[in-house]
Amino acid sequence: MATFEKGIHDNPTRQAWLKKIAALQKLADATKVIQDFRVANTSPFRTSNELDLDYLWIESKLEQKVAVLKAQQLSTADLLYKATTGEDPAQVEKHWVDRINAAKTKYEAEKIHVEFRQLYKPPVLPVNVFLRTDARLGSRLMELRNDDYYGTSLEDLRKERGVRVVHLGNGKAAA
Amino acid sequence: MPISAATKAATDAHALHRAPASVSPQEVHKWMQSFNWEFSKNKTKYPTKYHMANDTKEQFKLIAKEYARMESAKDERQFGTLLDGMTRLGAGNRMHPKWGETMKVASNFLEVGEYNAIAASAMLWDSATAAEQKNGYLAQVMDEIRHTNQCAFVNHYYSKHYHDPAGHNDARRTRAIGPLWKGMKRVFADGFISGDAVECSINLQLVGEACFTNPLIVAITEWASANGDEITPTVFLSIETDELRHMANGYQTVVSIANDPAAQKYLNTDLNNAFWTQQKYFTPVLGMLFEYGSKFKVEPWVKTWNRWVYEDWGGIWIGRLGKYGVQSPPSLRDAKQDAYWAHHDLALIAYALWPTGFFRLALPDQEEMQWFEANYPGWYDHYGKIYEEWKALGCEDPKSGFIPFQWLLKNGHEVYVDRVSQVPFCPSLSKSAGSLRIHEYNGRKYSFSDDWGERMWLTEPERYECQSIFEQYDGRELSEIIAEGHGLRSDGKTLIGQPHVRGTDLWTLEDVRRAGVVCSDPLKRH
Repeated sequence: MATFEKGIHDNPTRQAWLKKIAALQKLADATKVIQDFRVANTSPFRTSNELDLDYLWIESKLEQKVAVLKAQQLSTADLLYKATTGEDPAQVEKHWVDRINAAKTKYEAEKIHVEFRQLYKPPVLPVNVFLRTDARLGSRLMELRNDDYYGTSLEDLRKERGVRVVHLGNGKAAA
Repeated sequence: MPISAATKAATDAHALHRAPASVSPQEVHKWMQSFNWEFSKNKTKYPTKYHMANDTKEQFKLIAKEYARMESAKDERQFGTLLDGMTRLGAGNRMHPKWGETMKVASNFLEVGEYNAIAASAMLWDSATAAEQKNGYLAQVMDEIRHTNQCAFVNHYYSKHYHDPAGHNDARRTRAIGPLWKGMKRVFADGFISGDAVECSINLQLVGEACFTNPLIVAITEWASANGDEITPTVFLSIETDELRHMANGYQTVVSIANDPAAQKYLNTDLNNAFWTQQKYFTPVLGMLFEYGSKFKVEPWVKTWNRWVYEDWGGIWIGRLGKYGVQSPPSLRDAKQDAYWAHHDLALIAYALWPTGFFRLALPDQEEMQWFEANYPGWYDHYGKIYEEWKALGCEDPKSGFIPFQWLLKNGHEVYVDRVSQVPFCPSLSKSAGSLRIHEYNGRKYSFSDDWGERMWLTEPERYECQSIFEQYDGRELSEIIAEGHGLRSDGKTLIGQPHVRGTDLWTLEDVRRAGVVCSDPLKRH
């Protein structure tokens, strides 16, 4: 089968990130890198679209590295009871659940939920605490989002979301 | 012969105190219940807005031993027929080739649905708090494992016996480039296993199984038989015998939340979104597979759709749930319009993009064109003339250097991908219900094709992060994309997809390269 050396699966962007990831030796440093990476490149609230084609692959490599450093540098007990940030997972859970319960709108709540995932998605937080917390945050967010779901018109919903309407209708699209 | 005193004593005792010779399954079920765990304080790890009641019953009351005996009998009949009788009859190569290609899509895609349904039913098991309800979901987990194997076996059987195995044998390797894959993942994967556990049940059991398995698994067997395929009915009707249990599970999910105040607020919204999600893909794709992927027609898709989706499901099935506050989804009206034209729209785009597929597509012949015009008046002027022009330009001939996607771009017919359903659409040629809308948000542009999907994205944008092939491969030449996305046969140069079903004149990578098609993201032109 024909092969292409430089394609979507193997490109200079990914190679550069592999080098950066290989250089990470301390768990605290790797944790900071993965948190910053997720804030910059994941979710609709990402601050950069530069890595849109590569971010999932790079994130998976970062996750592998954090998981390996975590297994090497945390004690067996800490693997279950400590986040790689050094925080107590139970306190992390309480903090984020309290925050979302205090949220007044779905837009406020979704930012909290997305931010929680960007900062604490495993391997940063132990997976059992992450899933439990994520389910609690998700349940609350869904309640807020689905209350009076059709009560706002599409036009108003676009304004609330803050989108710029580029084109509406089936006519030939403007160049 | 005299018997010993001991034997006589035992015989006399037995006559006085006879042990039961058999016990009914219902008695066993009742007895088994005494071994239940208490799930009332069960805390699921999946998010949900609802609370499932702790006293929900399960209609089938199956226990593992009965279940295994029943399924074993069905498997013996099915595999026995396939591996013995049908093999001797050469049934694996007797269907019309157009239909043999359709089954590359139908069985491979249904396998993905069944695989995700394993996880979906297990998620519901985790979310329920009633032991009987959990039992129902558990039986479904086992069913879905069976169905996954059955679908894989259809493709395995075709791979061994059908004259063109490419696409039956390893379709999944083309999943990054085929435009139908991502929409299929949206309904079969995301719809079944992401988000609210009860909403997943509505997607899987109340809509996917109660509504669309009738056309997908039952009607398809009629089309298969009409086109000479005895393999598909043998397997798919065996699958369908389990689906009733799953529909009952969906019914019981609704019953279990009927008294929950959350159901009053959320249930009909979740049902409407689930219905639109499922129909947005299944309505055009099934119609396209049946009508364009067959030589011999059973009936117009719009009639099948009206009978199974509109009347049977939207009227009778949902009507039975009316006492629990369930209403027929308002999006059913728009779906009805899609049932008439959406599959014709999609077929045109699928043919234009044939090199990215894992199956061979064929242009409708004269007899088929007459059938389309007779059943969909106006079809010829809108679609038929385009197919004729493509044929005249040599779209079937590998020496022509003409791929219909070029014609679309040259004539200003941009192809967009709906961000929510991942279904491709061409607004300037579309006759279905939706319309194009493009929004810019946080530095990116997004395209949508209908109100219902747009609202889903505006409400929950983080759910729809999947990029289209036009975004992923913007600026890349088509033959490079096909090679990178594993769209080649085992000789390393001939495409799996072809624009006809003949065994000769097969397109190679070099033929595509000569055509010089470059993929580009239409959103960049706005």
